[in-house]
Amino acid sequence: MTPGPALTPDAIADRLRDAVAAGSPAGDGPAVLDTEITQDIVTVTVAPPAWVAALACARDELDCDFFDWLTGVDELDAGVAVLAHVYSLAGRHHLMLRTLLGGEPRLGTATGIYRGAGWHERETHEMFGVWFDGHPRLDPLLLPDGYGKVPLRKDFVLAARRDRDWPGAKEPGEQEAARGRRRPPPAIHDGWPAS
Amino acid sequence: MAAVDLPSPRAGRDLSAAAVPGTPGPGSSVPGGMASDTVVLDTGRGYALWVFDAGLACCAVECAAALSRVNGSAGPGPVQANVFIVAGTVTDKLAPLVLQAYQQVPDPKWVLSFGACSNSGGPYWDSYCVVKGVDQIMPVDVYVPGCPPRPEALLHGLDVLAQRHPVAGALAGRP
Amino acid sequence: MAGLVTADLPARSRGVIGLLEENCTVCMLCARECPDWCIYIESHKEPVPSVQDASPPGTGGPAAGGPAGRGRQRVRNALDRFAIDFSLCMYCGICIEVCPYDALFWSPEFSYAEPDLRDLTHERGRLGTWMQTVPPPPAHDPGAPAPKELLAAQAADGRPGTGAGARPGTDSGPRDRPASGS
Repeated sequence: MTPGPALTPDAIADRLRDAVAAGSPAGDGPAVLDTEITQDIVTVTVAPPAWVAALACARDELDCDFFDWLTGVDELDAGVAVLAHVYSLAGRHHLMLRTLLGGEPRLGTATGIYRGAGWHERETHEMFGVWFDGHPRLDPLLLPDGYGKVPLRKDFVLAARRDRDWPGAKEPGEQEAARGRRRPPPAIHDGWPAS
Repeated sequence: MAAVDLPSPRAGRDLSAAAVPGTPGPGSSVPGGMASDTVVLDTGRGYALWVFDAGLACCAVECAAALSRVNGSAGPGPVQANVFIVAGTVTDKLAPLVLQAYQQVPDPKWVLSFGACSNSGGPYWDSYCVVKGVDQIMPVDVYVPGCPPRPEALLHGLDVLAQRHPVAGALAGRP
Repeated sequence: MAGLVTADLPARSRGVIGLLEENCTVCMLCARECPDWCIYIESHKEPVPSVQDASPPGTGGPAAGGPAGRGRQRVRNALDRFAIDFSLCMYCGICIEVCPYDALFWSPEFSYAEPDLRDLTHERGRLGTWMQTVPPPPAHDPGAPAPKELLAAQAADGRPGTGAGARPGTDSGPRDRPASGS
């Protein structure tokens, strides 16, 4: 394929929106929900049913042939977001695809479009609890067998930080940390039970 | 750990001739009693302190840099080793395999923990899937601090091991 | 054949951390910023006797203290315990960077392996002895602007126009102006 003139972020967003809208069945609601452009990186949020179609459009219409990563973000009450970053080697443009899963997080697998998404989806599955329909083998990748918990959700308690006294809780000159003591650094979630 | 009574082949030999050029003089020793000793790890002459490096993470690079001077390109496997070095982060998933490798090492054996991760969990002390120090799953004889420690720090750690454990010292060629 | 050598290491090599106890005001910043939570500090407040206490009232001694003529009772933090757990330390240097009073320093010493994990927690006595191994800081780059403190001191002395560099032996010139935003 001959590399054309570089696409501007707006052009990328428009082209993807048109391609996804053309491909998605009418009456399912809008496929592309949001487009955000930050520092030349386009992030397009699509509805979960249009996820696989959006990835196919990114690969076919926008020449995004390099699959970089796929991961999740725990958006608390809004659910779990799944993000995929793809890149076009010829056009040298990035594209971030995003979808938000409420309730029980299930999504179509990206392995049919990008084979390299296999391990990324396994990791997202074991860390965030997202189920990917059609994935050939969604076994745990990094966690020990039988772990059972979902560590990267924000309500997962890091026991070591909860149970250990923070040395910086004391004020200068204090013998012991006061009751309303200074808050330890992040990674301790509000609402965790006190040790 | 079984105590093996090994005759020291070096008994009576004057080791001062084996001093390594470039060893620091008294001026560079640290106040507080920690002398920078001359260590003779003479691994090429008939008997040796065989060191197996279980390199799990970044510390493996520093360990390899130190041991390449001693082992050359081919180091011993666990079955031929005397000293079992754990260099790197021990994750929950890999811990059974590290323990299995340790159990393959025949007696007499000593364990050296290399780097902050295997000492105590190090930077990952709060992680959900890291063993907080390899001494949670096996007995450790020497802890070498650092993140990662220098290769010379490993040699010093082996020196401390040889000082505290006479059998290891005999294997290492100390009088 | 392997020998133990003390490598010729540059200054500020990250071997071990030394504590200059006189400089520590127990501000707790190092303990708070340490990502590993490996700095343990205990302290208490001590009153520092004011000048007023030196001469009993009514004796006609010299007036003391603040504008009201009475010294305010001052309080300082006294360090009870300052320990760094080097089994946890990842040698990031955040404590040294954040200390506002330059009480912590890097030392290139690396030979402090221990058979007991608890001995890797160095208390303030041992941290103080590490200070003797802290090398002097490297010389400034010859092309660097003069340190602001020296320029300010020269200006305060009333010799702003000498045009001399911050240190004897350096040439004068545009570098003498206080560096802005350097």
